Amino acid sequence: MSGFDEASYTTVPSPPFDSISSIRFSPTNPDRMLVSAWDTTVRLYEVGEAGAKPSALQAKFDHRAAVLACAFSADGSKGYSGGLDTSVRELDLASEKITNLGAHNDSISSMTYVRSTNALITGSWDRTIRFWDVRSPTGSHIASHNTPERIYALDHVNNTLVVAMASRLFHIYDIRKMDVPAQERESSLKYMTRSLACMPDGQGYATASVEGRIAVEYFDPAPQIQEKKYAFKCHRQTIHDVDHVWPVNSLAFHPTYNTFASAGSDGTVSIWDHKVKKRLRQYPKYPGSVASVAFNCDGTKIAVGISYTWDEGEQGMKTQNITPWVGVRKVGDEVKPKS
Amino acid sequence: MAKKKNKQLIRPWCWYCEREFEDEKVLMQHQKAKHFKCGLCPRRLNTAGGLAVHIQQVHKLEPENLPRIDNALPGRDGYEVEIFGMEGIPAPDVADYKRRKEIELGLAAGSISQPQAKRPKIENRVISEDDLRRQLQEHRALMGLSNPESSTQLSEASSGSIFGAPQTYAVPPSPMPPGGPPMPGQFPPGLPPPGMMPGMPPFPPFPGGFPPGGPPPGMIPPFPPSQGFPPGMAPPFPPPPGVAGMPPFPPPPGFMPPPGMAPPPGTPGFSPPPGVPGASPPVPAPPQFVPAQMQPPAMAPPSGPPPQSQQQQPRPEQTGRVRQPVLVLPDPSRAQTNQDFKKPTDLKVKDANFSPDEQRAVHPKYFCAQTSHNQDSSSSSLADQPRGQKRARAEDFL
Repeated sequence: MSGFDEASYTTVPSPPFDSISSIRFSPTNPDRMLVSAWDTTVRLYEVGEAGAKPSALQAKFDHRAAVLACAFSADGSKGYSGGLDTSVRELDLASEKITNLGAHNDSISSMTYVRSTNALITGSWDRTIRFWDVRSPTGSHIASHNTPERIYALDHVNNTLVVAMASRLFHIYDIRKMDVPAQERESSLKYMTRSLACMPDGQGYATASVEGRIAVEYFDPAPQIQEKKYAFKCHRQTIHDVDHVWPVNSLAFHPTYNTFASAGSDGTVSIWDHKVKKRLRQYPKYPGSVASVAFNCDGTKIAVGISYTWDEGEQGMKTQNITPWVGVRKVGDEVKPKS
Repeated sequence: MAKKKNKQLIRPWCWYCEREFEDEKVLMQHQKAKHFKCGLCPRRLNTAGGLAVHIQQVHKLEPENLPRIDNALPGRDGYEVEIFGMEGIPAPDVADYKRRKEIELGLAAGSISQPQAKRPKIENRVISEDDLRRQLQEHRALMGLSNPESSTQLSEASSGSIFGAPQTYAVPPSPMPPGGPPMPGQFPPGLPPPGMMPGMPPFPPFPGGFPPGGPPPGMIPPFPPSQGFPPGMAPPFPPPPGVAGMPPFPPPPGFMPPPGMAPPPGTPGFSPPPGVPGASPPVPAPPQFVPAQMQPPAMAPPSGPPPQSQQQQPRPEQTGRVRQPVLVLPDPSRAQTNQDFKKPTDLKVKDANFSPDEQRAVHPKYFCAQTSHNQDSSSSSLADQPRGQKRARAEDFL
């Protein structure tokens, strides 16, 4: 806990009352972010400057049940949300109007917005990926694709969609040919997949498990490319000869430098350069589990969401007693690869 | 009347610290004492604005150096909002508070926060014949009776509101004595059906364990519904490596599997959790944990497939509407086990099959059962239904 300096962060007013499920920055405005949370809300914040301008809550969208995923549209004028009530909702960020696009059969765990086709892709524990045409007001549900297991996370880069599922399964799709997965993989990590993020350069993705480990994988199936993939341990600590191993809850790539941040329940955020396999920076430990991290669109800021992530069930909620907190800090050279 | 009830449920509360009070007078005293007290002199002010002006003028502090309001929740310690008792609380926060109160009190969403005028209206209106029939069926289902006639209607009305009825009332396919029942789908009155312990409530969560020889193949998990194999179609799965003889997913400490949670079907060698004798049903469980399909179909005589299929057909759809707070592996053949560690290790997330989020989602605090009121997510068959009309009601007005 020592070393955590709240002054280097600009915190948001009225953060969620319950755990943060995801943080997403606007693709157009580097100071706008959506925060979805287990308190059944999605909140839109205007991020200020530490010490100069306070952050502001611009809008709050109430839902029927906990929200697990949110996303921005390509122009940043709309948001999307999904969660335990299974509905896919469009949030008009200006008028604060909520439109229902349709539903899954089980909780929505993850979503991503594809700029090129203006499609929203949602993944659910009902073992389907669904595509939504968000421009047409009716019949916005375009297609549903079955997957073998419950979807825990999905992300895309260009036309490649990566879907992380339960039972350590991965499917890689070409968004234009969704009928069959281009590749089916088993995780190279031996424990449950917890998070996923695609490299902005389109070469591959990083994924992390509940057992403090991150794998870096590449799309190209050629053997000489595949042998470059690797995994490493992180977010763990040896206390009295016992290894304490925390889940890695969130991964986020820097939009320009291709480095990435990882967030763990050990309360740390680390920046990694996966090309040279080096850690660039570990930020001072936060007062609780880090539930989500995100870089803004121009890569000048990183948002960190602190809250309990249910690692140890209901009991942990009481013993850890973490007050949800969202802070944004400016990033400097620590996110640049050292060359 | 409605308003009075509302008053009883929501007592005056303090925006700064979310404490409840007997009446507004006490609340104002509390705010003066706890939140609007000047830290530099004994003076107490009536509002945050008053306090700000006082500190600026009397103590000559610059506006940007004002201390945050004492004892306030994070995010509520500012001077921007002028609160006086219950006056001035931002509307979103009121809605938020009411919603959390509803959850806390275990009330349906909207019972506090939405106008209650509608309810008496519904109660007073003439009950239509359709409704009567539906209610009768629900009642029958509840009583554990279902005759072929009503189950036919059930399947005919499969798109109707009947399937919005809570799963609790679903009739499990009745276990039959293996010798030909007198009437399909009906228990001999007054006689506990075979396979049940005398003196047990009808439909114990897990009647008498499985018949010898392990669970019959063809049992399907209660959800997810749409992907479930048709009854009798599910292939017997090979035991996942390393799990034979023990529950496939040992519950982590702190996570109690809901009573009645059954092992994933087709895991031979399942032994009940320690402390539960194999032959007797587990601890008394609320009936809503009875997954309808848990009744071993093998108990049904082969002579009675028509009523059987009639009863079962609508069910997958039904389970799509009403979810149950249990975690069931959709495909037990893919069950995972965590490897052992070479060194002493404290792995924080121990369950290899369900993520922390999934476990959190079935916790009573968060669990969201889809009900018939849940119009917006009504479409388990999205493609068939024009969603246009439903849209208006679908919005969250909170």
